[in-house]
Amino acid sequence: MKTKIIKIRPNLLAILVAVMFWGCDAGSRSADVSPGMQTGVGGSMARFAITGNTLYIATKQSLEVYDITQPDQPSKTTKRDLGVGIETIFPYKNNLFIGANNGMYIFDNSDPKAPRQLSFYSHIQSCDPVVVQGNYAYVTLRNGTTCRQFASLSSLDVVDISNLSSPRLLTSLNMESPYGLGVDGNRLFVGEGSKGLKLFDISDPVKPILKEFRSDIPTYDVIPYRSTLIITGEKGIFQYRYDDKDQFDLLSKIPVE
Amino acid sequence: MKKSTPIFLLSLLFGMIACDPPIDRTAGGPAFDGTGYRAVYATAEELAVIKTQSPRPLRKPGKIYVQGNYLFVNEQGEGLHVIDNADPTKPRKISFLKIPGNNDIAAKGRYLYADNARDLVVLDIGDPTSIKLVKRVVDAIPPQNHPFLQQVYFECPDDKKGIIVAWQKVPMSSPPACFR
Repeated sequence: MKTKIIKIRPNLLAILVAVMFWGCDAGSRSADVSPGMQTGVGGSMARFAITGNTLYIATKQSLEVYDITQPDQPSKTTKRDLGVGIETIFPYKNNLFIGANNGMYIFDNSDPKAPRQLSFYSHIQSCDPVVVQGNYAYVTLRNGTTCRQFASLSSLDVVDISNLSSPRLLTSLNMESPYGLGVDGNRLFVGEGSKGLKLFDISDPVKPILKEFRSDIPTYDVIPYRSTLIITGEKGIFQYRYDDKDQFDLLSKIPVE
Repeated sequence: MKKSTPIFLLSLLFGMIACDPPIDRTAGGPAFDGTGYRAVYATAEELAVIKTQSPRPLRKPGKIYVQGNYLFVNEQGEGLHVIDNADPTKPRKISFLKIPGNNDIAAKGRYLYADNARDLVVLDIGDPTSIKLVKRVVDAIPPQNHPFLQQVYFECPDDKKGIIVAWQKVPMSSPPACFR
């Protein structure tokens, strides 16, 4: 700020930035939302998942595997029958975590066309989506006639999956009516259906600490995506900005009409 | 004999009605709250109609999917809202993809994979205002013979009515036979 040279630079910078933004604005009118070759991200309630050139479909009773190397010509490579009550699929690194009414299946899909079952983590009975981060799987189990016949409580379970062949329950927290969930860094988001949304701090991954319970945001599922939490629920789509501390600010909503 | 027959039949009818106990819970079923789910049926011809429409309101948002700047929001059993979410403070609806019986989605590049009742369809969404069906895998998905909720009653599926594409919550005077 003291010499003449430095004084000129901020002006040039300002002009450059203005030109950039002007250019960006003109560009965004067109269909410049093109996705390139990238694969998208689903929520924890998903039955479809793509990793690499493989499309996985968790049907009610099986895992179906399609080769989509030629993307407009999916060809079925294999299927794994898993018994009834399959609900969700979550791909993570070289594994697939499949939530079912009676537990969670863990598959190795390092050979993507031929997933290999490693283990089965069973609950008494449950309806569970699952998300994974590092060595831990977070699973919600919702009370219901067919899901938890002998238990009256719903819960959030933290499962140690450092040994994928032998998952181990570490913690179980009571919940109201948990549905989908999402994890990003030290944040765990759990939908409580029409009851709302819970935010947990998982700086200690084994001990989720409840930071907020937003009963004004009915939540069926969430996707944490680039510091934006996208929420779907019976009132509509809500988007919030979050960070690894206390930020949780409403960005927008697309209400149900 | 002939004169008393109608009386006999009438009293039998009354007897039957009287013996029908009021049902508020089917054995093993959830509590009945005066509502249940009724299937929406479609013929195979109706199901095959996939098209791009102008944006429409959200009614029953289901699953969500993000790909780059696109946010796809399922309208349960009906299709996908396509939203430009490049700026999450100003999401902008681009179109509605009518896909009967749709609940799930995944996408890679310009191709979107979705369930269309019992089929898996591949859609080219290079231009989200005019999608193209590029491939159909028939019977890739087992039939959705129940609503995808728990603790609900629903009318048992009837194949003769067609293929189930969606479930609607309706008032019911007594619980139907099926529940989950």
